[in-house]
Amino acid sequence: MSTSQKPGIHRGVSTYCWYPLYNVNMTLEDSFEIMKDMGAHGLEILADGIIEGYPYPSKEWLNKWFSLCDRYEIVPVEYGHWVESKLYRGRELNVEESLEQLIHDIKLASYMGFTCMRTKLGVIDDKLTPTKIWRDFIRRALPYAEKYNVVMQPEIHWPTRLTDQMILDYVEFIEKEQTQYFGFNIDFGVFTTDATGMGMPPGMELNPSKPEDIIPLLPYVHCCHAKYYNMDENFEETTIPYREVVQIMKDHNWNGYLLSEYEGPHKEDYNHCMTQVKRHHVMLKRILGE
Amino acid sequence: MMEIEALQYKGFRNLKDENGDICGFQVGIRFVAYRGPWLSQFRFAYVKVDDVEYGPDVCTFFVNGVEYTYAEMLKPENWRVKVQMQAPIYIHVKKEGGLAMGCHRVSVKFSEIASYIPERMDDINSEMFEMMHGNDPAYNRDMIIV
Repeated sequence: MSTSQKPGIHRGVSTYCWYPLYNVNMTLEDSFEIMKDMGAHGLEILADGIIEGYPYPSKEWLNKWFSLCDRYEIVPVEYGHWVESKLYRGRELNVEESLEQLIHDIKLASYMGFTCMRTKLGVIDDKLTPTKIWRDFIRRALPYAEKYNVVMQPEIHWPTRLTDQMILDYVEFIEKEQTQYFGFNIDFGVFTTDATGMGMPPGMELNPSKPEDIIPLLPYVHCCHAKYYNMDENFEETTIPYREVVQIMKDHNWNGYLLSEYEGPHKEDYNHCMTQVKRHHVMLKRILGE
Repeated sequence: MMEIEALQYKGFRNLKDENGDICGFQVGIRFVAYRGPWLSQFRFAYVKVDDVEYGPDVCTFFVNGVEYTYAEMLKPENWRVKVQMQAPIYIHVKKEGGLAMGCHRVSVKFSEIASYIPERMDDINSEMFEMMHGNDPAYNRDMIIV
């Protein structure tokens, strides 16, 4: 399954790139205009921060959403949301409480035109191992995902490695359930070889995944966070082996969206963020042969 | 529109009670983040003005226009109220006579509990929080009361 209308690798942007700037000196429409400037049509939103009135946006806001998507040729790709586990002091949420959040987001994502969700799960340790009940509520959400045609995808994010046990657990779950409605968003930060821009917490190791580690996972990946920490003046990302990773994806005929996600310094600086995202898309266009 | 900082200059003023007497002051904050927490995930330590800390016991919080005490915000049922990203949270601090006219050094210490990051990072009093925001100009500003 692919979120793309045509086969191949497509470019997009996550609103994460500009999150400190929204409601300060930028609107959602501004980011759509920048995306149009770059010919990057795929969009990821972080629902909680972007949707006014979340989780119950007004009809007026939704009408505006559809109008803006139409005007700027935006393809809603991925709806970023969280399945909270820590809402009460002293206990984690149970299956029913988790499922309630998830079903609401599935319906809202689908209504807004998204075909994927970045389903962020609660974690229980420093390796970001998901909460123990994830299989129970995800399994029960699968019929809703199928009905509303959205794929739930946990984000695989550093410090997780693509060969870690949790990935094997996810694959085992997908194959056991024989579902197309659960997969991964692989965040390219897992390939980072230089921690300079990451603000790595003390005691954490970099330990990057190898580009080829993505190969067995590609059938389950519907879109990726094309993470970048430092785009230099030669339009190269200095910390992630982009060319190797994307070439592997091309060689394996992967279909989907690469969604720019800037996680370097100076995120509060509009000009810096603009320069970084534009450099990123020059690089992606070159690699993709556009 | 808001300011880029976590601590908002706009809205910083003394407050009057129903008799017209100055009974405290107001300061606005925002989460410089991609999402706001559910209310039960909000954590607050203090507003500090010129080295005097004002804790949860003398503060109330206006979220989406509704006033909450800190204890009310943390009630389990209030996980269904979301801090929206389009407007600040206004903190009302009880202080007879308010703040003197002139310049003040203002700091805030607040955070959120996030399910998707390790639990050890939840502690608002942790070294990591202090390292990230202790001297962060977004959380510490010189602001004038008129």
